[in-house]
This record gives sequence, C-alpha cells and structure tokens, in this order.
Amino acid sequence: MTPFLVRRFASATLTIWAVFTLSFFIIRSAPGGPFDLEREPAPDIKAAIEARYDLDLPLWKQYVQQGWLWLTLDPGPSLRQPDHDVATILSQGFPVSVLLGGWALVIGILAGMALGILSAWRPGSWIDRSVVLFASLGISLPMYLIAGLLIMTFSFHWNLLPPAGWTSLASLVLPMTCLALAPAAQVARLTRSGLLETSSEDFARTAKAKGRSPLSILILHCLRPASIPVASTLGPTAAALLTGSLVVEQIFAIPGIGMHFVQGAMNRDYPLVLGVVLLYTVLLQVLTLIGDLLIMWLDPRGSDMR
Amino acid sequence: MIASLQPHKSRWRQTRKTLPVLSLTWLTLVVLISILTPALPLEPIDSVDPEQAISAPSIHHWFGTDVLGRDLFSRILRGSRISLACALAGAATALLVGVAWGLIAGGGSRQRDNVMMRFVDLVDSIPLVFLVILVASVVRGSVIEESGGGLGVFFVILGFVYWTPMARVVRGETISLANREWALAATALGSSPQRILRKEILPNLVPTILVTLTLIIPRVLLFEAFLSFLGLGVQSPHVSWGTLARDAFEVLNPVNTAWWLVLYPSLVLAMSLLALNIIGDALRSDLDPKDATK
Repeated sequence: MTPFLVRRFASATLTIWAVFTLSFFIIRSAPGGPFDLEREPAPDIKAAIEARYDLDLPLWKQYVQQGWLWLTLDPGPSLRQPDHDVATILSQGFPVSVLLGGWALVIGILAGMALGILSAWRPGSWIDRSVVLFASLGISLPMYLIAGLLIMTFSFHWNLLPPAGWTSLASLVLPMTCLALAPAAQVARLTRSGLLETSSEDFARTAKAKGRSPLSILILHCLRPASIPVASTLGPTAAALLTGSLVVEQIFAIPGIGMHFVQGAMNRDYPLVLGVVLLYTVLLQVLTLIGDLLIMWLDPRGSDMR
Repeated sequence: MIASLQPHKSRWRQTRKTLPVLSLTWLTLVVLISILTPALPLEPIDSVDPEQAISAPSIHHWFGTDVLGRDLFSRILRGSRISLACALAGAATALLVGVAWGLIAGGGSRQRDNVMMRFVDLVDSIPLVFLVILVASVVRGSVIEESGGGLGVFFVILGFVYWTPMARVVRGETISLANREWALAATALGSSPQRILRKEILPNLVPTILVTLTLIIPRVLLFEAFLSFLGLGVQSPHVSWGTLARDAFEVLNPVNTAWWLVLYPSLVLAMSLLALNIIGDALRSDLDPKDATK
C-alpha cells in the first residue's frame, strides 16, 4: 500500500511538472503579450511595464522563477487585472466550480448507477431499452444543445428557473443537469454491462439458489464487482466534466475558474492561465488516485499486484 | 429454424440491423451534401439582409435566418464541410500517430515497449484538452492564422488529443497477434520482424483499427464543436457547426427566442454523432465476437 502511494505521488508530481513546463512554453510562444493595447505605448513605457513583471528576463529564468513562485503557492498579480492576485482570483472562482462540478459528478454517478441497476434488473424490457437509448443519447448530444433546450423550455417558456447567473439554489439546477447528463449516461452504460456480466457468475447463481430476489442479488452481490469499471473511469469522467464546465460556465454566466481560463488564454494573462491549468491537473490527479483507491477497496485481489 | 423459436430475439436483431443502415444513410447524405455544397443553388453564406434578421423558418429560409439575416440552411450546409474535414483530419492524425506508435511499441523488444507505453501513460495523465485549448489560443491571431494555415494546424492538433487510445489498442493487438501460430510460422520461414509486422500483422489489425476509428471520429467532431463554441476553434468568416451554435447563444434571449438558431445546427451535429456511435457499436459487435453478447 505505502510503496503504491509513494509511486503514485511521484508520478503525479512528474505529471504536474510536465504540464507546468508544457503550458509555460506553449503560452509564451504565443505572439503578442499581455500589454498589447489598441494603441501601441511608447517603447520605453512598455519596457518599463515588462520589467515590472520580469517579462524582460531570459525565458529560462522566467521559467525557473515562475516555477518557484508556484511552489510557494504565491504566483503574484494577474497581468491583466493588476489589482488582483492570481491566488485571490482562483480562490474566488474555485469553490463555485467545485460546487458545480462536484455535485454534477456525484449526481451523475448515482443516477447512472441507479439506471444501470434498473436496466440490468429487467434486461430486454422497455426500461432496459430506454436506458440504453438514454445512454447513447447522453454521450452523443453536444452539451450546448441540452443547455439550449433546457433554457428555452424551463426559463423562457415556463419561466420556472433562471437562465443564467449564480445567485440562488434555483440557478444551480439547469447547469448541474447539463453537466451531470454525460457522466450519468456513461456510468449507466458501464454499470449495465458490468452487472449483466457478473450476474452470470457462480456467486450470483449461488445467491439465487439461496432464494434471494433478483434485485437484491444485483445490488448486494453483483454491484460491487460491477462498479470497478465505473471507478476506473473516474479520472477520464472528471476530465470530461471539467471541459464541459468551460461550456456550461460560459452559457450560464457562472463565475467559476473556467471563464478565467478561456479569457486568460486569449488575453495572454500568463500566470492566471498557468494557475487554472495547474489547478485542473492537480484536481484530476487527486480524482484518479481516489478512483484507484476505490478499485483497491472494491477488488481486494488486485491490491498486491501494484 | 432456431430464429423462429425466438421471435423476441430476432426482432431485436432486426432493429440492430435497421439502425446502423439508417445511420449510414444519414452520414452518406451529410457527406455527399457537404461535398456538393459549392455546386448547389444555395444562398451565399454571407449575403446579409437586415430586413430578414432573425426570422423564423419559412419557405424562403427553411431553417430561418440569423441576426444578420443570413440563411441558416445554407450556413449549416457550408459549415458541415469544415466540421467534417476537422473530424477526418483529426482522425487521420490519430490514426497515423497511434498506429505507428502502437506497432513500433508492440512489435519491438520488451524494453522499447515499456518506455513507449510509459510515455503514453504520461500523456494520458495530462489534461491534454487544456493544452490543446492553449495551443488553439496561441495559433489564433498568429502569423499561421493570417496566412490561412490556422485551420490546418487546428485539424492536426485535434488529432493529437486522441492518438493514445489508438496506440494502446494497436499495441495490445500487435502483441497478441505476434504470438499466433502463423506469425511464428513466418518467423520460422525466415521473415524479418519488420516484414512480419508489415505483411502479416498490419493487415490483421485492420478490423481493430476500424472499430477504434469509429470511436475516435465522433469525439473529434464533438471536440471541434466544443472549441469553436468557446471561440477558440474555427474563426469567422469560416463557418462550422460549432461557430453556428456560438452565434445562436449570443442572441439567445427570452423576449424573442430564436429557437431555430439553437436547435438546427446542434441537431445536425447530434444526429451525425449518434449515427457514428451506432455504426461504431454495430461494427464492434460484428467484428469482435467476444463483445457480441452486449
């Protein structure tokens, strides 16, 4: 267990460093800088501003400097919003994004498992077929179509829920539904096929011989091994959710960190963009690790192999 | 005989055949139309008509018009060209890089395999999508974009997100094929490892590669729409399904809901994605007998 954790920690550190390096050099190779204005300022003024933010140093020195700043978790001011620290901007947006994405992930997984159980309980029935249909629709529909349909029906037509903003609980409902749909579809698919596979195994037959009802066999005996694929896709699912949240935050005007990422990349706000990418990477590493630990808990046989 | 004893199952098989055929028809239609678009008698995509701004679908404008009075129907048809080109180019990149990587890793020594697959692991643990967004924002407004190469670069970077699944699948299949009797027989006959890879193993990889491609193409198609929706992908004056959706959300308001602008571009994309996924599922269950029960 401990060597596994140490190895995982090492590889996570390597990944985070690789992401930092790649994104640093990608964004710095972009033409234009954060201080490009409509009217070009006098060269000495521009040079003074750049010197203020150490942008005049050789690139490798800036790289080392930025790396050190991030290690001490004090990335300094944003280049486009000079009155705000990058750390402050991120710490304001982060709880919003986590609240939205986290709940969407939890709801999506729970709903997906429930649907998967229902459809494996009566394979071939109309329930099963509608779940299968839902699962293939859920991964085929672009998120903005779902968002558009939801806004037009629930906000514009029936006037039930606010179409945008981040003010009340009600304004959470639509963006969360949008985000949760794809993970729900994916999890439903995985749970269904996992349950169908495990329900033909010997232990399931034994449980049936004991006189257990089909539904309780599925939930009490088969669900645990069948949720291993779900746990192993936790990382990729979360990654898809993060990318989806960029779209959802834009459509519903939610003040999360996704907005800063897209804006920052276009404005060449180097530290802000680096901050968002690093935050996402760390988040994904943590979720993947949770997924791996879940797999070890779900399937103790594999824990020695790692 | 057996089929007649199982009417329920046979009907299910029937629907399983109908859906892929319908999907294939839809896709063929979309591809044909997108190729023929320049020859079709359509309204030009940039013919502005302020009188007709945001008008609902009618005889003159089948899918309605946008905020500048441009005909949505011809813009969707025109947009299909770039969207499909993105999907194909992205899939081609993933195909070339992934197959080459997988073949070289799976067909070589243990050590080489280890190093190459470790690299794939590393790439997979990186949130590549975000790096691609960064690259897209770098390309945007740069020299490459102005010289008209922006779209080409965009096609290629799309593919780099999705080459790892292809590399993994090809590598695994290469290793399992290399241990089959006929591959060993070729070695016994004196073929060089390179020749076996090229002449014996590669042709047998085709079904696996096809199935993986059907998984990758819809993802690239969706990713193009996603990037263009955020304003980081295809740029005006070019039109794609993603930019059309972006335009729709810019004018979305409760007073005068232009539902056609939101619905039609997304629906065409969604139907194409669904069709691709259905064909992928059908191919997988036909080409991979292990999976046929699902």
